Amino acid sequence: MKTLFLGNFGGRPGVSEAILAKTAEKFDASVLFDLGDSQRLIPVLADAEIVVSHIWKKDFPAAPRLKLLQSVAAGIDLIDVPSLPRGVTVCNVAGHEQAIAEYCLMTMLAWSHRLLDIAAAFHGGVWSTGGGAGGGPTHGEILGKTIGIVGYGKIGREVAKRAVGFGCKIVAANRSPIAEKGDASEIYPLAELDRMLPLCDIVVIAAGLGPETTGIIDARRLGVMKPTAFLINIGRAAIADEEALYAALKDNKIGGAALDVWWQYPTPTEPNRHGSRLPFHELPNVILTPHCSSATDGARDRRFGTVAANLDRLVRGEALNNIVLRT
Amino acid sequence: MKALFLGNVAADTAAGIKDELPAGLDWEILNDPVERALLPAAAAEAEILVSNRWLAEYPPAPKLRLVQSVATGVELIDLAALPKGCAVCNSFGHETAIAEYVVMAMLALHHRFFQIAGEFRERSSWATSWVQSGTPHGEVRGSTLGIVGYGRVGREVARRAAPFGCRILAANRSPRDAEPGVERVYPLAELDRMLPECDTVAICTALGPQTAGLIDARQLALMKPGAFLINIARGQVIDEDALYAALSGGRLGGAAIDVWWQYPSPGEPTRRGSRHDFHALPNVIVTPHNSGWTGGMVRRRWDEIADNINRFARGESLINLVVRT
Repeated sequence: MKTLFLGNFGGRPGVSEAILAKTAEKFDASVLFDLGDSQRLIPVLADAEIVVSHIWKKDFPAAPRLKLLQSVAAGIDLIDVPSLPRGVTVCNVAGHEQAIAEYCLMTMLAWSHRLLDIAAAFHGGVWSTGGGAGGGPTHGEILGKTIGIVGYGKIGREVAKRAVGFGCKIVAANRSPIAEKGDASEIYPLAELDRMLPLCDIVVIAAGLGPETTGIIDARRLGVMKPTAFLINIGRAAIADEEALYAALKDNKIGGAALDVWWQYPTPTEPNRHGSRLPFHELPNVILTPHCSSATDGARDRRFGTVAANLDRLVRGEALNNIVLRT
Repeated sequence: MKALFLGNVAADTAAGIKDELPAGLDWEILNDPVERALLPAAAAEAEILVSNRWLAEYPPAPKLRLVQSVATGVELIDLAALPKGCAVCNSFGHETAIAEYVVMAMLALHHRFFQIAGEFRERSSWATSWVQSGTPHGEVRGSTLGIVGYGRVGREVARRAAPFGCRILAANRSPRDAEPGVERVYPLAELDRMLPECDTVAICTALGPQTAGLIDARQLALMKPGAFLINIARGQVIDEDALYAALSGGRLGGAAIDVWWQYPSPGEPTRRGSRHDFHALPNVIVTPHNSGWTGGMVRRRWDEIADNINRFARGESLINLVVRT
């Protein structure tokens, strides 16, 4: 079956090989990294029955034989659904939630234990920032802390499962009603977020970006959080108000933050662009990472396995997994 | 009834638990050795001593019935210098804090946390991002954790690591049953069989004749190439030269080291923890022997000490009894 691995994720060197190594059936594969290469895009899309890509643009050339658009990401926000031909099934992948949950636990532990500060000072020969052998102040721990999870989906539940092992109390807020609380002791409707936030020592934003979540962490909500609260954002940057969050961190209205998702991203001409127009990277109470919380070998392996299984299923005429929609 | 709080840590403890002490308890705080001249009179009357040390050269303390250590180790308490029938109790509360450190370090090593966060802050490098063609980092899910020393700390580590989907092995001097989530507890003599299985090895054992130098060049060579080592126990459990060689030569993937082979002194307050420069290795997380030094640990330890003093005053059975002279 003619299969096109397309774009800066699906068409990245090594991706098609890694996915096809997991398939049982045979595929006639082509790879195109550069979406702007229309000379090549026209013939490969004309033939493709399967496209592996997380991007579908409005101005793409015709793809009359397309049956399956298999994303290699969870979000389909870069797929322009109206411009897909009729009869296409769009599937996504999961498998990143365990990796992101590890990131959340790692950053909340590192913050509470002041790991980065203590290790940096000890690099300079200072024993006394971290108590113990050198005397000095104690640091914190997460035992007994309340963790509020905004968006209680796959990621939120994986965070909760791990955090209860540390003796944390879990509360969560979700757009739609939740039937099964899992490890959370209480679930709030998203509309009642203001009641949940003041209870939390740590707030984890694990929601998807949508009309109900854009900008929900604004100046007022940051203001009802504890002055010591630690905010982790692994959802999407736009869920938090950029200026309000910067001000709250700079003025110590909240304790600190771990930010993995950003308001702006690097471009070919500006590969080292900062993630915000505000200097979050100059604030000492912020842990910053470059949108990599899900970028583990395990998550990639699970995602590629899901893609490979769906490719096989299509060839065999079996029901597809992770269907998002059909055109 | 008289209690003597001796030394800095005991003085802090007294301040922290004074409201919880039994009514009618007469207590005194002495700074040792600055106030050593006051010790004979205080020692002569004390029934309870709260301290982490009682040395042979100290004056007689004939009325002592309870020595409550402010630490877990009681190696600085000279049992021969205590009267007959004296209970020696220690204190804990650090195990959950240290367990948090071990899991944190394991995550940070697998996720290359220091490298990624450091390069993004300093150079705005997106090289590890999914939006770039970065090489993925590791995760602890599906990896094998080996816990050397399956005691209070080791068990707390296992309880926290299990929900991450780790395979967990342990090794212990005395036979111990594995709790749910732990696949197997090896005898310490069979450590060589456990080490090759592990992606992360966490040293959580006490220092003693059987564990001094336990991890030497041969054991390190048995570990998987690229494996991580975490030590929160005592520096001397690991051969200093062999560990440095394994890390600097790239045989191990990295380490988190909280306990050291040498410590600062008043004349050398910034003394390095080793004669080797572990600090300069990019794959080593270094912390100054503080993995258990949390506010929660101090509070839990104070509560245990206050509880025991009250039990003693009421004539009830004691907790954390190490030995009775």
